Amino acid sequence: MGAPLLEIENLRTYFHSRSKRAFIRAVDGVTMVIARGETLSVVGESGSGKSVTALSIMGLLDAGPGVISGKITFRTDGGERNLLHDLEHYVTLGEQDGRIMEVSKDEAGWRKQVERIMAEVRGKEIAMIFQNPKSALNPFVTVGHQITEAIRLHTPTKHPREAKERSLYWLERVKMDSPRLRFDNYPYGLSGGMCQRAMIAMALSSEPALLIADEPTTGLDATIQSTIVGLLAELKSELGIATLLISHDIRVVSRLADDVAVMYGGTVVEYGPAPEILGARFGLKHPYTAALLASRPSAQNVEEKGGLPAIEGEVPDPIDVPRGCRFYARCNRVTEDIRDACARHEPALKELTPGHHVRCWLYGD
Amino acid sequence: MKRYSQTTGEVGESSDLSPWKTADALDLVYVGYGLLIVVLVLVSYVLGAFTWLPYDPEQIRVDLLNAPPGSAGHLLGTDFLGRDILSRLIVGIQAYFLPGLLAIVISLLLGTTLGALAGYRSGEVETLVTYFNNLVDSFPRLVLILLVIAAFKPGIYYIMVVVGVTGVPAVASLIAGKIEFLAQKNFIEAAHVLGLPSRVILLKHILWHHCMPLLVIQATIGMGEAILIETSLSYLGFGVQEPTPSWGNMVQAGANYFFQGKFWPSTAPALSILFTILGFHLLGDGLNGILEGSAGK
Amino acid sequence: MKLAATKPITLVLARELALAALLLVGVSFVVFVILYLSPGDPFSVLLEGQISNHAARAGLREALGVPRTWYVQYLSWLGNLLQGNFGTSIRTGLPVFGEIARVALSTLYLTLGSMLVTLLIAVPIALHSSVRGTTALNWLLTMLAYVVSALPVFWLGYVAVYVFIHQFGVFPLTARIAASSERTWPFSLLPIFVLGIGNGTVSEVVRHLREEMSRVMGEDYIRTARAKGASVWRHAFKEGLLIPMTEIIASKIPFILGGAVIVEQVFNWPGMGRMAWQAAQDRDFPVIMGIAMIAATLVRLGSLLQRVVYVAVNPRASNERRGAAWAE
Repeated sequence: MGAPLLEIENLRTYFHSRSKRAFIRAVDGVTMVIARGETLSVVGESGSGKSVTALSIMGLLDAGPGVISGKITFRTDGGERNLLHDLEHYVTLGEQDGRIMEVSKDEAGWRKQVERIMAEVRGKEIAMIFQNPKSALNPFVTVGHQITEAIRLHTPTKHPREAKERSLYWLERVKMDSPRLRFDNYPYGLSGGMCQRAMIAMALSSEPALLIADEPTTGLDATIQSTIVGLLAELKSELGIATLLISHDIRVVSRLADDVAVMYGGTVVEYGPAPEILGARFGLKHPYTAALLASRPSAQNVEEKGGLPAIEGEVPDPIDVPRGCRFYARCNRVTEDIRDACARHEPALKELTPGHHVRCWLYGD
Repeated sequence: MKRYSQTTGEVGESSDLSPWKTADALDLVYVGYGLLIVVLVLVSYVLGAFTWLPYDPEQIRVDLLNAPPGSAGHLLGTDFLGRDILSRLIVGIQAYFLPGLLAIVISLLLGTTLGALAGYRSGEVETLVTYFNNLVDSFPRLVLILLVIAAFKPGIYYIMVVVGVTGVPAVASLIAGKIEFLAQKNFIEAAHVLGLPSRVILLKHILWHHCMPLLVIQATIGMGEAILIETSLSYLGFGVQEPTPSWGNMVQAGANYFFQGKFWPSTAPALSILFTILGFHLLGDGLNGILEGSAGK
Repeated sequence: MKLAATKPITLVLARELALAALLLVGVSFVVFVILYLSPGDPFSVLLEGQISNHAARAGLREALGVPRTWYVQYLSWLGNLLQGNFGTSIRTGLPVFGEIARVALSTLYLTLGSMLVTLLIAVPIALHSSVRGTTALNWLLTMLAYVVSALPVFWLGYVAVYVFIHQFGVFPLTARIAASSERTWPFSLLPIFVLGIGNGTVSEVVRHLREEMSRVMGEDYIRTARAKGASVWRHAFKEGLLIPMTEIIASKIPFILGGAVIVEQVFNWPGMGRMAWQAAQDRDFPVIMGIAMIAATLVRLGSLLQRVVYVAVNPRASNERRGAAWAE
């Protein structure tokens, strides 16, 4: 593992349900590290807090209270900074037997602080691409203009003509067909795959240190999905850019990831090198990871079991997070020895082998 | 600093709180103020109807012209003929209250019918309703009213029929939009599968359960508009005529004294108009925020 | 809407024009029906106004046959309207079209100016509150918009006249009485501001703009703009401000024209509103009908302009044909 680029420590991002008068604990104590030049992939079902983690890094959350605690250290050649600098001055937390039951946050002040911190980061140091690329591009502005805008904002290239040349270069780089033509198109005229290529070109054009790809293949046709994954894989080997890849699709993850973090119910339940976590041989796994892998469509699965085994039960309601292990209610590997612990106490993230962490009572002392 | 808190106990089990309990404090203030105005108007209407007034609103007192508020037992003072302003304000409500209700009834009945037709049966019916809405919206309301006045006579009920009809497009498009929204959520299809006759579905399920808040909101907005029109017309001299008071002709009658620095006789009815219309606006918007805002979430 | 989204710009506009024409025919029919139903047969008066020559009138009656049915009356009246013949005013005996044309400009000046004032008040409030959420200043501004919208415009006019003319003496007192002779530009600003503030639409304009801007601020492409460090305002401008602004202004033209009737009365402003008031007093049908037709035409023109802006700004509406070939 290379030198750390982005370190997330104990991030908590909560929302508030007005009608239930309760917190939605979307991200509840997430810790992970992205190394330089490597791809960390966050997998999990929808509602597990993957996307909220990404948006928390970028400071793009609007609903309150939003990020309430944690530390995000971003290390570039220019130095080290905490993207949640001074957060504790804006937030007061009220706890009741170990759970946060009250949050007071100076939201206006924090918003200003975030804008201050992120002004130099967004688009320049960290770029982001999203799912549903057709709606992620501005429908009122030509594709080319949206790319040149990023170039002129974040690179030394300021002259319109040079910026145009530069964006054409990036459009070629992402293998957009007839880039000169597409340059003057509005997004609605392009297919979803082309829009995602344009998004990727736009994100990479400012040559960021980190790329966050939030479900980059969701909302695309199956065939287009695999070409976009292929493109991302190529760009990864050519540019060596660190990537935070968020996906619920294990096939995408297995093609691109160096490290994998499995999220469940707002926390990371397993975290380590991709081969160890995704590989079929490696035995020590979190029961959830195992279930997730078993539910993935593969020839072996279909032949042996006559269909896809779904994980029984539902993702825990982020409003009503269970006290013990979050996966307890759906877990099929609870033994009598640990049942009590599973139901009552949340296990800690334990390092099984170097770099491989699991949050499960099965792997106790 | 914004505070968020969680009530202890089993959250997941509890059902959603009613929209009134989770309402925005500001919306509650709006609704509270609006209800206060509604009650005031209602009480004053009854007082005026039975002429339970502090003074005879048309009784002239030459010894007490343009008296300031609070003088000689006149709580809100007197006007340029020494008539008690409070009594005149109370009686002035007669000028718009029943006509305003008529306008509201017309808007709501016609608007709901057209809206339901347009929302429920798309195609040609919808095109026709849209045409009707655009047609009505092409007329400046006041100009259409002046046309009707010229053609018939300056009777307030003629005028309120016009106000009612010109209020139809707003109601119709809201109802149509609501029904289309509900249709997308498969409410209507589900009801069809159950085999209920379509008329029952339409009226009971949709209008009653889902459009009632909308209609109440529209009624309050309609009352505000009716007051605005009545006062404007009586100001222009087409409504209630002196010496019978209406808020509009009271403002007008006080105008000359206004420029001599005697603001009150003109300002008292103007403020009555302001606070009353404001009350109906805020009531409508507050209810909208509470009832419709939560329905959309 | 669907048709509009699939045709190039000229076809879209042609369709809008046809729709406007169809609506104006409807407007003329409504006007006709009101007058037709009115007691005292204003139509014989009307036709007398439109056809001045006695012999020609007799000839027309003969040609049309007596008694003439209502639709013949309507069609002949509509035919005359289309030729610009609105009849003659009963009160002044002059052609209505010329009378209206004489004052239309000053009403246009008043209404366009006050629209601008309304926007100048509403846009900053809407933009401020669409991003800041509920703050004290925000609440104050929203309340201000509400109060201003409930304010009776005639009383606001008195206050303005009193403060600016009587107290500060910007104008001699006579300015109000003999406005047309002593009109100078600051005096004409007064009614514009009064109508712009007091036309009763400010809070609705604020609400529409705020809702649209907030909606657009929640769009995916605005999140993209924020993620790339670009100005969200620049990205949100077209869909969040320009289009809603033209929409709301176009839909509020009738209210502003209606408000003009009152403001012109307060300020003795020689415009269409005052003329309509006078005509209603005198039961001068040709004039009030002419004004109703012109006002409706202005309203339709406003929404036509709104469509033009929409089509010009929105690439989806104007360039669909170019894009259609490449769509998925």
